[in-house]
Amino acid sequence: MKKIMKTALRKPIKSTLLIIAVLGLGSMGFILTDKNPAHPNAQLTANGSAMDKSVLVSKNDFDNASSKTETKAMPIYGHWRTFTEKDGLPANKAYSIRIDGNRVLVGTHEGLAVYEQGKWRTYTTKDGLAHNGILSIDVSQLTGDVWLGTMGGLTRWSAGKFEKFTQFNSGLPNDIVYGVLCDGKDVWVATAGGAGHFDTFTKSWEIFTEKNAPMHEPWTYGVSTGEGKIFIAAWGGGVIEYTKKTKKFRDYTDPDGKMEIDLLPDDGVVHNVTTGTSWANGYLWVSTYFGLSRYDGVHWKGYFDHDSGLTSNFINFIRAVGPIAYVCTDKGLSTTDGQNWVTYAKNENDYNGKVTITKGNKKTSTASTPSISNNFVLSVDVKDGIIWIATSKGISRGELLK
Amino acid sequence: MKKINWLLTALVLIISCVPSQIKGQEKKRMYGNTPIEIFPYNNYQKAYKYFFVEPKQFYGPGREKLAPKDLKEVRIGLLGPLEGSNLMPLGKQMLQGAKLAMEEANAKGGYRGLPFKLMIHNDVGLWGAAANEVVKMDEEGVWAWIGSIDGNVSHVSLRMDLKLEIPIVNTGDSDPTYTECGIPWLIRVISDDRQSNYALINQIYNKDKHSRVAVLRTSNRYGRVGIANFTDAAVRIGHPIVIEERFDDGDTDFKQQLERVKKLNVDAILIWGNAKESAFILRQIKTMGMKQAIYGSDRMVSTEFLKIAGKDAEGIITTSPYNPDANSLPLAAFQSNYAKRFGSEPDVFAAHAYDGMNLIIKAIQKVGLNRALIRDVLTDLKTFQGYQGVTGKIILDESWNDIGDIYMAAVQNGQFKFSVSPPIVLKKH
Repeated sequence: MKKIMKTALRKPIKSTLLIIAVLGLGSMGFILTDKNPAHPNAQLTANGSAMDKSVLVSKNDFDNASSKTETKAMPIYGHWRTFTEKDGLPANKAYSIRIDGNRVLVGTHEGLAVYEQGKWRTYTTKDGLAHNGILSIDVSQLTGDVWLGTMGGLTRWSAGKFEKFTQFNSGLPNDIVYGVLCDGKDVWVATAGGAGHFDTFTKSWEIFTEKNAPMHEPWTYGVSTGEGKIFIAAWGGGVIEYTKKTKKFRDYTDPDGKMEIDLLPDDGVVHNVTTGTSWANGYLWVSTYFGLSRYDGVHWKGYFDHDSGLTSNFINFIRAVGPIAYVCTDKGLSTTDGQNWVTYAKNENDYNGKVTITKGNKKTSTASTPSISNNFVLSVDVKDGIIWIATSKGISRGELLK
Repeated sequence: MKKINWLLTALVLIISCVPSQIKGQEKKRMYGNTPIEIFPYNNYQKAYKYFFVEPKQFYGPGREKLAPKDLKEVRIGLLGPLEGSNLMPLGKQMLQGAKLAMEEANAKGGYRGLPFKLMIHNDVGLWGAAANEVVKMDEEGVWAWIGSIDGNVSHVSLRMDLKLEIPIVNTGDSDPTYTECGIPWLIRVISDDRQSNYALINQIYNKDKHSRVAVLRTSNRYGRVGIANFTDAAVRIGHPIVIEERFDDGDTDFKQQLERVKKLNVDAILIWGNAKESAFILRQIKTMGMKQAIYGSDRMVSTEFLKIAGKDAEGIITTSPYNPDANSLPLAAFQSNYAKRFGSEPDVFAAHAYDGMNLIIKAIQKVGLNRALIRDVLTDLKTFQGYQGVTGKIILDESWNDIGDIYMAAVQNGQFKFSVSPPIVLKKH
């Protein structure tokens, strides 16, 4: 080592050139092998036509990326069928969607639509809804009750009856309920005036605002659960995490603290104006109007439309199911396992569209006939190989392609 | 030989820095008229992603919708602090300015013979009430709305508005973060506190050569967010503020805060609050014999401030989003008509509401009754870019925030005198 140092001091030019060569090769290696987890050097294996492909990723890539990832294939959906007012929806604009056993619940601008045995049935304020604009839906696994977050309060649909919770007759923080979550006996809501927790056994409410939680302001937008925690998307406040066991809060914000930039993509949430959270398979996914973030409990990873297969940074909603995150954007639906991407988007002037698969820097697109109902996607749910998406102009049902 | 060594070393450093930014955004622009010297982190490293460098588009449906055929009036909403708020005087002015614009449009035939109607909503009440009011406006069928003034209210209403997709023209909220949420349904036609902060930085540190500055600010969101860019910029130019003291709306005694400021030998004080509290602070500063130069936020530019502060106001300097003394025929006509209609002088909130309402009316007249199309024309950065209102020329940036001229207002002989804020020239620290 001493000899090398002495040589370097005696022959600065040669040494510098050597360093350049080493670093240059290192940089080229970085560029070519692209160790960014968003773009692994994975193998794509396909069978049959493009529409029948699944993106298969080598086990090593997942082992390297994270031991939490179990599934090796990116699902691809097709055989899309669209439903609109003509098919029985009360409105084309659908804010929320949830699969509940053999039926599908759709929150539209003009009421709740329920699809069962091939038929649509609509429920409105005349039936007892707090408001016809239904922004969020969840179903209690404990009781089977359906909880609806509306533009005029929270509604419980239980045993055929609708029950209203408003800021005037209950502890609901505010009547605008952007997000609702059933978690055992508990119901959590994200409202325009703070987060709320309703214990259905004791019938007691807790309200969380900037007064008793680490929120900048009480503007909550989404709520999800996982690993004994509640994750609240707070508009301007990043993610508020509540540990159920200790009843303690903590927050995750963008460390650069600036609205106009993201200094580093992997240092925290990409922006503090968050729109949703979803936890699955050991990952917390966070959507914003400025990009997507993923957190594994130790490391954050940021995704933008310029550096990944994410179709748009403007994300309305996110739901993670197993290893896949379903990302609802204003330019279509993107799905990802954190490394590979599949995006579904409709053509502007017909019913067809395209499916774009992104793996590293390589993008391949193929036609989709027909496509999703509209590219402004507001909600999604997936179960047993069936995907339902709610958009600003109709809803769509897709099937997992074999 | 030495030169070659230096060049080679620099080359090594450049190459070694490449990987960390290889996927960073290539296009880079300083957002919000921010001088490069005080752009966040710019003195140290390039950001991975710069937001607001190009306008977001609305990709949803709606442009194909036809206007209803059975309309009897064209409804436009207004959301403002009209009851139960300390901002009521500001809200009243906003309402009156909007009313005047609408009445003038109706006198000219409205929209294809249909009268415009103002749907008025109070933004103060239970927490989050502003969101509920936006739902009501949607149910009323408004085509667009103007408002509001308070930053909390604006943010709460904006989130609901995004769901309902109604164009907003904000005429009174100076919270910089409001347009930084990236929502493509909002434009703001009044300069924000970021612009105001930069103008004050220029005035206090560059022009007036102060270096030790104290800040007294209201403890609410207006104070916290409104002063943030000043505080950051002061650090970046090498003069962090010496002390930041807070007060609550409604306070009348500021002795404790001022005693602390007095001990620190500052040479200037910046007051950031509403007119009333700012005036009381100013009087107390003079009573305590403090001789520092005094600066303030644009909310001090009001008759209420001058009335309470009296002769103590002499020499103070603030910013102003417009120049009410400008030599402008449209402005003179507006001031005259406003005085005839309401029996009082219009203030900054009235003037901007007048401009904002006129923009909505012109947008409707241009594209018809379709919310998405109204949004498109308001945000295209062409149709109304440089619109000459009574408040001056409206220039929107890519986040649809007004970055047009901002003014300095200095009290001379008991009256505010206005001048355009000079271009900012900062020395890199």
